[in-house]
Amino acid sequence: MKEEIGSHTLWQLPIIGAVHGDTILTTWLAMAISLILLAIVGASYRSPRAGRAQTVFEGVIDYIADLVSSSLGKRGEPFVPFFIALFLLIFLLNQFGFLPLKALGLPFGGSPTADVNTTLAFALMVWVIIQVTAIRQRGLGAYKHIFQPWFLSPINLLEELVRPVTLAARLFFNIFVGELLYIIIASIIVAKVSIGAFNLSLAAAILPFFIQFFNFFVGTVQAFVFTLLGIVYLSLATADDH
Amino acid sequence: MTSESLVAAATILAFGLIVLGVALGSAVGDGIVASKAVEAIARQPEARPNIFTFLFLGVGVLEAFPIIALGLAFYLLLVVANVPALLTHLSAAH
Repeated sequence: MKEEIGSHTLWQLPIIGAVHGDTILTTWLAMAISLILLAIVGASYRSPRAGRAQTVFEGVIDYIADLVSSSLGKRGEPFVPFFIALFLLIFLLNQFGFLPLKALGLPFGGSPTADVNTTLAFALMVWVIIQVTAIRQRGLGAYKHIFQPWFLSPINLLEELVRPVTLAARLFFNIFVGELLYIIIASIIVAKVSIGAFNLSLAAAILPFFIQFFNFFVGTVQAFVFTLLGIVYLSLATADDH
Repeated sequence: MTSESLVAAATILAFGLIVLGVALGSAVGDGIVASKAVEAIARQPEARPNIFTFLFLGVGVLEAFPIIALGLAFYLLLVVANVPALLTHLSAAH
């Protein structure tokens, strides 16, 4: 059994160049799982009784829809499905680190969000959607606030440009360090360390449970934070007056 | 004292200092966020869902920094100085 962190299988594609194959495969798997799951939940609407899965999903969807409409108002309605999809997909991708798929020898596994390419792609997608929406709603006046006090314009511009980077780095580091902690504890257990009469490996054997619980919590909170920050940035960019 | 043992000692000390700093800072920050949220809920119980949202947002944004610092500390410990290999080498030479 050997599971490594930070190493990816490389695919050589004709035009793009080298890509991380395992990340892409795991993301496709997560997309297939979420599509099947949502199809099952959607099919339950054909029966008059509300099932358990339907109730849980309606809670999540109501919560995010309320968030969007409370910070964006009427204009936010077209973005509700986008943010729900963003939250569900990031949540699912974060929890993929639970399954020891790579240790079983499969070509996919691990959290795709522990790869900075995935999180940067998500952050850039959110950022581009925000810019396009702002320009479509208010024209070039959307960028007026950057030059509002003219001597602060470099700082305002930097603040605008650094948002996708912090959004990506926050999600990436949280998931990556969660997996890193897990691997380090696993290597301590496997190494059979004992200091004098104290068996360190045996004592560390209880830790993976708590670390995985922590990872589950962190994955949920970070998916939520990513979605909510996207909503907040969108509401800042499309606000009528400053 | 050889230079290798000096490097190992200094790296472990730096790791401890980083973990001390981020643990202290994030604990104080989380405590402030939670206490302010409790105060706000006590003052306005009807705003509880809103406050919970921003409590989780604040904690999520705040928790990113200790996690990033922990990642950098492990990078220092395991990649830059490679302390486990250094320690095995030192104990073999002993």
